[in-house]
Amino acid sequence: MNRTPEQISLHEWDRLHDDLVAAGLPQPSYGGPLSRHVPDGDLRLPRLRYDNSPAALRLWNFLLTEEDRLAAARTEGKQLVGTMKDLGTVPVMAYSSPSLVAFYPDGAWWIPCVMELSAGLLEVADSLGIDESFCPVRAMLGAFLTEAHFPIPDLLTCNVGATCDDFSAIAQRLNGLGYPILWWESPHRRAPDPGEASVELPGGFVAPEAQVAFVHDELERVRRALAHIAGRTITDAMLAEGITTANKVRSTLDELRRLAYAAEPCPMPALEMLIAEMLAIHFCSDRDECLAVLDELLAEVRSRVDAGLGALAGGAVRVFWVNPVADLRVMNMLEQAGGRICGTEYLFCHALDPIPEDLPPMEALARMALADPMTGPTADRADRICRDIGLFGSEAVVVSQIPGASHCATEGAVIRDTVGARLGIPVTEIEVPPVADAMAPTIRNRLDALLETARARRETLSATHEPVRTTT
Amino acid sequence: MIGAGIDAGSRAIKVALYDDERDTVVATDVLDQGVEQVALAKGLFEKLLEDNGLDRGNVSRVVGTGYGRSILDFVDSTITEITCHARGVRRVSPGARTIIEIGGQDSKLIRLNPEGAVRDFAMNDRCAAGTGRFLEMVAARLDVPLEKLGELARGSHSPAPISSMCVVFAETEIIGLLASGSAPEDIVAGVQTAIVKRVAAMAGRTMDEPVSFTGGVAMVPGMVEALQDALGRPVSVATDPQMTGAVGASLLAANR
Amino acid sequence: MTVLYSCPFVPAEWIAAHGLRPSRVTVRPAHATAPGLGVGVCPYANAFLQEVSVPGNGAAVVFTTTCDQMRRISERMDPGQPVFVMHVPTTWQTTAAQRLYRDELLRLGRFLEGLGGRPPSPERLADTMIAFDEARAKLRDARGALSPRQFSEAIAHFHHTGQVSLPANATPASSPGVPLALAGGPMMSHHFDLFDLIEQHGGAIVLDATTTGERSLPPPFDRRALRDDPIGELAGAYFGHIPDAFRRPNSRLYTWLRDAVAERGIRGIILRHYLWCDTWHAEVQRMREWDLVPVLALHAEQDESLGIRTTARLQAFLEMLL
Repeated sequence: MNRTPEQISLHEWDRLHDDLVAAGLPQPSYGGPLSRHVPDGDLRLPRLRYDNSPAALRLWNFLLTEEDRLAAARTEGKQLVGTMKDLGTVPVMAYSSPSLVAFYPDGAWWIPCVMELSAGLLEVADSLGIDESFCPVRAMLGAFLTEAHFPIPDLLTCNVGATCDDFSAIAQRLNGLGYPILWWESPHRRAPDPGEASVELPGGFVAPEAQVAFVHDELERVRRALAHIAGRTITDAMLAEGITTANKVRSTLDELRRLAYAAEPCPMPALEMLIAEMLAIHFCSDRDECLAVLDELLAEVRSRVDAGLGALAGGAVRVFWVNPVADLRVMNMLEQAGGRICGTEYLFCHALDPIPEDLPPMEALARMALADPMTGPTADRADRICRDIGLFGSEAVVVSQIPGASHCATEGAVIRDTVGARLGIPVTEIEVPPVADAMAPTIRNRLDALLETARARRETLSATHEPVRTTT
Repeated sequence: MIGAGIDAGSRAIKVALYDDERDTVVATDVLDQGVEQVALAKGLFEKLLEDNGLDRGNVSRVVGTGYGRSILDFVDSTITEITCHARGVRRVSPGARTIIEIGGQDSKLIRLNPEGAVRDFAMNDRCAAGTGRFLEMVAARLDVPLEKLGELARGSHSPAPISSMCVVFAETEIIGLLASGSAPEDIVAGVQTAIVKRVAAMAGRTMDEPVSFTGGVAMVPGMVEALQDALGRPVSVATDPQMTGAVGASLLAANR
Repeated sequence: MTVLYSCPFVPAEWIAAHGLRPSRVTVRPAHATAPGLGVGVCPYANAFLQEVSVPGNGAAVVFTTTCDQMRRISERMDPGQPVFVMHVPTTWQTTAAQRLYRDELLRLGRFLEGLGGRPPSPERLADTMIAFDEARAKLRDARGALSPRQFSEAIAHFHHTGQVSLPANATPASSPGVPLALAGGPMMSHHFDLFDLIEQHGGAIVLDATTTGERSLPPPFDRRALRDDPIGELAGAYFGHIPDAFRRPNSRLYTWLRDAVAERGIRGIILRHYLWCDTWHAEVQRMREWDLVPVLALHAEQDESLGIRTTARLQAFLEMLL
């Protein structure tokens, strides 16, 4: 069925779904109309706008049925691993064992948005003394205590050290409530001292070999714990296979991003791209299906790009987005204002880079974990953002502040100053709470101002035939 | 002899006189706070005495409490409003185990042991979003009298979520909600919900019953219902909730 | 050269043994947010940055990773000022973490050499450690003879100068107030007024469990181990024994507090935390639920003098305990 790509409402998706099914659309077991999730409490869905492709339908259904998959995994006798603050390392290890399923409890931070606060998770966090001066990931505490959103895992791991104090404090609160946690540490990534043995990390950072060795040893502890609950050794061969499969996900995502962010007009909207990227962290609890979902999305994007079709109008301002948003609706808002996502750094760019396959697997994973943008200086993060802006040709930058997050107080200025000095493109900061409806005019105002500035700059550059400055 | 309590709040001055021999609160009065706080408090105290045929010689002790207690130079001692409200509420609700007091500028949660002594407390005096100030702001924005807010909120089917910690930015949110066509009843309900949720957060995970609601905001229609919803348990409004601090101070003045 | 720092996991004797002057900063309140810092910056981190960033002060600054905001504040320092970021492991139960801490001390040593310091011989290091150990012992011994404020200020002075200076007019608490513990992160200079305020309302701080106070003192060194492996003993004493909220897990803080509460007959804990300090803020409700003794939470903003809010809370807390 030929369809013009566009964004549609949930109601329109119901009608389209019926048409697709009537036309013989094959669906996975978790398929169905998106609106069926609304009675389960996903009240935000009617307020969002969606890409109208079957690939997007599958992506959304995949995301919204994770809870069912985790419950099924538990029933089948698999062991569940909750990998906290770990943006892409331990899940790769866990999925190397067939009896383990890893998931990302931090993902509960979207539940208040998706359920429009109806689940009461933030109130539970409040009652534990973790109020709104903490990051919205505090919703995770509510999810653990209510046990209403995921089964309590058999093993909880948490990455600490040079990560994020908010999350560390929230996880410690969880631990204090009686949930055992295996803590593993990331050191503050630094440049090697003169004469110090160093290694190159995925993504281009360079770090001391000693730091990689430390993380290697930490991950070995995690490996032993995983093996213990799996009831079998996790061999290097199994890890190597796990890395290979994870890299398939990453390479698919890489191609998807390159195509989607570079093409004109924009072939796939921001919200679907955000969800696709998030899948890279933990595969949404089903690694093989995750790959299938991304493959289908990539095929859709390819066909649109080949046909010169876009889900958004041409000429939208190309925006690089820094940090994930607590309210998904803001991604729609950008597009309604005339912008499009053209590059992202959602705090886990290292989870999008390929894990080296020419190294012993644990060494490879250690290098990848140390490449986490949170563990190093903000200047490193700003460097990578500038590099990716050049790669994708972004015209403006949005830094989304996460209310209460400890890194946001200082990093915004560093990123803004670096981007401004090197690239001269406009940057704005916005703060997005879990339900941003009441803040919508304020947020929209900033986005409008940013896009106007970018358009004016575009016209000026066009008039003077000046190329966009890129990183030297 | 008379024990006198003076609650010098941020919005109003309250005075109570307690007759120790008859074990009765013989008189109370309230006056809006002003610039000349000491003079206003002293004037109200003396007027209350005079209106009841008493003079300073009949008074064994005067206890000052409330936000402005430290400048009341004519009182014999000062006691915090935590202790005074606890005492005052126990007077009118003898079995109360949890007290929630929401005033114009702050809110408090006080836990009592079975004997009525303060066991623990929490205060929000830094953020106006959990206080009467927030209600006043929304009443002004919507041009609705404070006493009509409850009635308006009862018509809400979908309280608007207010996310800001600060009432100044919450006002921005309310402007945004109005601009986007949100119904006034939903906005008021949202504000009520935000206030009581902030108060509920002070309670932590456990709360002993009975729960007593006091302070000026307890007199605003609709608030006790909103608080009950937020706490998930029955809440009763203390008798004469604006006066419990002054009454408690007068009892403490008489060593009761 | 002076080496400025604020974290108790930076051993002063290590710096002194290199021939440099260690100075743990007692931060004065800042009255504005430093340029480039946004909403959500911790008042202490903001004030520390401004305290140490005085142009031409010729000092080097050591930051640690015990606090994420402090770690990131280090990036706002002037590039011309020598800065070292020391990773103090959050985990503590593994030999890898213990080894990392020791390695970081050695790396700090190389930084100090870059400033003109001389790597100490084991004997020199041991002697320096003994000198500091004896100074700390002198401080501890003086506790009973000083008022709570004097004792805490003496600790701060020692950290700032390396010298124990006891006031000539040592005045132990005039009346036995309700024994309390003061817990939390580092204090700024004006926060010592809290001691007086607490006394005025009938309390007495018998345990300064803040980062600035007694909690941050390492235990006495094992003199034999010190001679055999001074740096091992140094690392073990600091990393292995200072309880803190940032550690994962931070159970040792609670064990230490429980023992201290029992030993000193403490009847209440005042837990101070800065606005936007997640590490200590997250412990408030947990400590209340622990239910060992009543807990009062105070949170401090930028330049807040100890005004009505703090006074009201303290007074109510003491009324409750009395």
